[in-house]
Amino acid sequence: MTFRTRLLIAFALTVIVAVVFVGAIVSTTTQRAFERVDEQRASALAAQFRQELSRRKQEIAQRVKDIAEADSTRDMLIALSRPDADPSVYVDAAGPLAAAHNLDFLELVSASGSIVSSAQWPARFLYQEDWVRQRDDWNSREPFLKREDLPADTALALISVRVASVGESKLYVIGGQALDRDFLASFVLPAGMRALLFREPDSIVGASGPLPSAAPLGPLIGALRKQRSEVSRTVQWSADAVSAETFHAIPLIRPARDPGQPDELMGAFLVGSSRAVEVELERFLRRVQILVAMGGIVVALLVAFWTTARITRPVEALAAGARAVAAGDWHTQVDVRASGEIGALAAAFNQMTRDLLEQRDRLVQAERVAAWRELARRLAHELKNPLFPLQITVENLQRARAAHPEQFDEVFRESTATLLAELGKLRGIVGRFSDFAKMPQPQFETVDLNGLVRDSLKLFDAQMQAAGVNLRLDLAPDLRAIQADPGQLGRALQNLILNAIDAMPSGGVLAIRTGVHEGGVRLEVSDTGQGLTAEECARLFTPYYTTKTHGTGLGLAIVQSVISDHGGKIAVRSEPGQGTTFVIDLA
Amino acid sequence: MGAGPAALDPATADAGPLRSLVFETLVRLDDAGAPQPCLALSWQHDAAAKRWQFNLRPGVKLHDGSSLTAAVAAPLLQAALPAATVTAAGDAVSIRANHSLPNLLLDLAHNGWLETGTFRPAAFDPGRRAAFAANDDYWGGRPFLDAIDVQLGRALRDQLADLELGMADVVEVAPTDMRRASGDGRALWSSAAISLIALVFAPGPDPRVRGALALSIDRAPMYTVLLQKQGDVTAALLPQWISGYAFAFPAAPDLPRARALVNALPPAARALTLTYDPGLRAARSLAERVAVNARDAGLAVQVSPQNPRADVRLVEVPVAALDPERALAGLAAALGLEFAPNSSPSPAAYYESERKLLDGFRAIPLFHVPVLYGVSSRVRVYAPPPITRLGDWRFDNVWLSGTAP
Repeated sequence: MTFRTRLLIAFALTVIVAVVFVGAIVSTTTQRAFERVDEQRASALAAQFRQELSRRKQEIAQRVKDIAEADSTRDMLIALSRPDADPSVYVDAAGPLAAAHNLDFLELVSASGSIVSSAQWPARFLYQEDWVRQRDDWNSREPFLKREDLPADTALALISVRVASVGESKLYVIGGQALDRDFLASFVLPAGMRALLFREPDSIVGASGPLPSAAPLGPLIGALRKQRSEVSRTVQWSADAVSAETFHAIPLIRPARDPGQPDELMGAFLVGSSRAVEVELERFLRRVQILVAMGGIVVALLVAFWTTARITRPVEALAAGARAVAAGDWHTQVDVRASGEIGALAAAFNQMTRDLLEQRDRLVQAERVAAWRELARRLAHELKNPLFPLQITVENLQRARAAHPEQFDEVFRESTATLLAELGKLRGIVGRFSDFAKMPQPQFETVDLNGLVRDSLKLFDAQMQAAGVNLRLDLAPDLRAIQADPGQLGRALQNLILNAIDAMPSGGVLAIRTGVHEGGVRLEVSDTGQGLTAEECARLFTPYYTTKTHGTGLGLAIVQSVISDHGGKIAVRSEPGQGTTFVIDLA
Repeated sequence: MGAGPAALDPATADAGPLRSLVFETLVRLDDAGAPQPCLALSWQHDAAAKRWQFNLRPGVKLHDGSSLTAAVAAPLLQAALPAATVTAAGDAVSIRANHSLPNLLLDLAHNGWLETGTFRPAAFDPGRRAAFAANDDYWGGRPFLDAIDVQLGRALRDQLADLELGMADVVEVAPTDMRRASGDGRALWSSAAISLIALVFAPGPDPRVRGALALSIDRAPMYTVLLQKQGDVTAALLPQWISGYAFAFPAAPDLPRARALVNALPPAARALTLTYDPGLRAARSLAERVAVNARDAGLAVQVSPQNPRADVRLVEVPVAALDPERALAGLAAALGLEFAPNSSPSPAAYYESERKLLDGFRAIPLFHVPVLYGVSSRVRVYAPPPITRLGDWRFDNVWLSGTAP
């Protein structure tokens, strides 16, 4: 992955993360703002509910008081107080009274606690309402919540009790209004809000009637029963989030009649605030966020592309320069007009190549001197050996002419023979040096490498037999032909075979293998000799370096030169005691 | 009055009080249930009561103007007495049978209606109106009233309003409206407690449900408040004044036993539907009170008027005869109970028959109530009372103030 690509990805990721982060902040902030608005609306409605409940209590208390203090009630009380009282006369009295005073519930209960008349359940006449006799302070009590049994169901009611009395006689007037859909309908609700009334154990009604399915409100009711205080929950009526509704529950609790007993949860007023608008708005904002983010990302990518191009162009120029230097073009200079670190880096690169050139020139010069010195040393060493016998022979001739003239001819004959032999050696040495200096350019032609190997081996049959060397050939049968100079390549191969034979004076195995490698051909020549150390391996192709007691140290140098001229590579694998393998790769 | 009969046929069960305006029998029962002469002035029978002879009242004319002779009466009576042979024997009617006819007088008091009554039918529109004109040729003398116009199919509330507005002189009254009906100088006419109010179960409900409902009902408050103490609380079919043993059927509620029966029921069987005919007196109030009582026992009773598929019906059945056998048979038939006639009529036998009828609580008697009429202040009457114990109208001696009696 290029630096530009990485930089581009880094830019893109940074932009995306930033956009997502900003989007999340916007969403969260928006959601909190909506929640605050919801809470404010719910609180306002809850306050309206409490106010309405308080007003209803006052109204109910007043109406029940009016009934209790009415002349007709007084007359009824007096009539019922007589010994021959007939309560059946008043069995239908409560209904019209309740209607006249706009009460949903009205019961007239005698001092003994039996119902004289019931508006909400006329058939309950003469039934006992003993609870009403358990207190004497009804006239000073606030209206309270009561679960009122009706023929078909049970209603939640705000009930007020007043006691009408004449002398010792009493008549309880129990009146109230239902907390029902009509009560809910009296609330002025803003759009998106609704009020529900939960009545224990499982009735939930709204202003338009019973709720068809109240199951989603179960957790809210459960929390309400557990906490018995105001709770809020968000309820989702369907899989669509638009159906979500936040409910704020205000418990309707009747204080315990007896100390030590828990207060009774009679129901709850549920203020529901639809989240449809918020969800739609959130969805709209999310869509906008996505569009803005996508636009931002595209713009950011374009900017990042342009920016990274500006940043990476000098870096790429530097990389190209470095590659050119690596390829041997030490004259490479990068043309970078950048400032800052990149500019400094380019300047440093250019300075580096200049320094490298100077150092290479110095090194070449030093190497050249060293080579000449080595050449001189080798040449001196090579020439010194035959010169000494020449000098001795010439001195022997001089001494023999002076001391033994009679033997001079014989000495002369022997000495000249020796001189000629030593001069021949000198000529051979000079010839090899001359050959190395005059290595010709290869003349390429199509060559069968396996055939070249077989031809070269024929030259060494006798030598291998004499040295006890066995041959193991592993030639690839369908090896393709290569372009090579058969003379030079054969000479290089023969050098390697000769080195291998020399490395196995006590016999061994010479293995030659050909094959295909990375699209080219490979030739391996192995021996089972003593092997080489790592240092020896490193210096093996250096001219005039040899591990043998005889030789000029030019053989492997010539081999490397030939392989190099053929565009190939030569390498050596060896360890002491493990033999040596030369590997040649040719295109 | 209410719906009234479908036709002015004296033989039908719903002929009602109108029948006695138009029709008469050979024998009439007095308030004690004893046979008294009506169209027959006298009668005799042999020792075995197989041969009877009724001497017809002379000078009686049918509404078509023809004289009531034995030859005219015999075929009419024959239709009412298929088990006997009715023939004319001079001015007398002879009735013979191969078996003893000990109850023939009672049979003739309830059957063999002849169109000789005090009023002649002038118009009849079933369910809407019945008009009657005075029978100038009535053997007992022309009635004081020239005509009677009966509005049929009127609700009780409307009838009461008609009375209060002076648009009617005699109206049926529910017990709960007695005080209103009798105000402003108006009077009340009443029969004996001759109508049985009862609950009748349709086939289906568990016997324990029926028993629980029967044991849960507290009749006393209903009797006091809804029926204004008119009639009697009862758990028997026949009224005490007819049978003499009605008190032996306990009518007091037994809520613990009722609850025990309910608790033994599966929850699904603890619900009932109770229906009633809105035209019946105090029916809705009574039904709702029964539902309240049942609720105390753990039964859920839903009150639903005119529901043909209800589990139990609140009915009002008139006692059509003064003799226990005939009355019991009539009530059993009206309530859908199987009645086996007694071979040896006696109070003990009637009691046993009635106990068998009520076993299993297929029917739950609640009250015997009288038929009540509110009467405007301009209606005057001489004795005897214009309403018999069985509720028949006897308007012979009724007239309106401002008119010469």
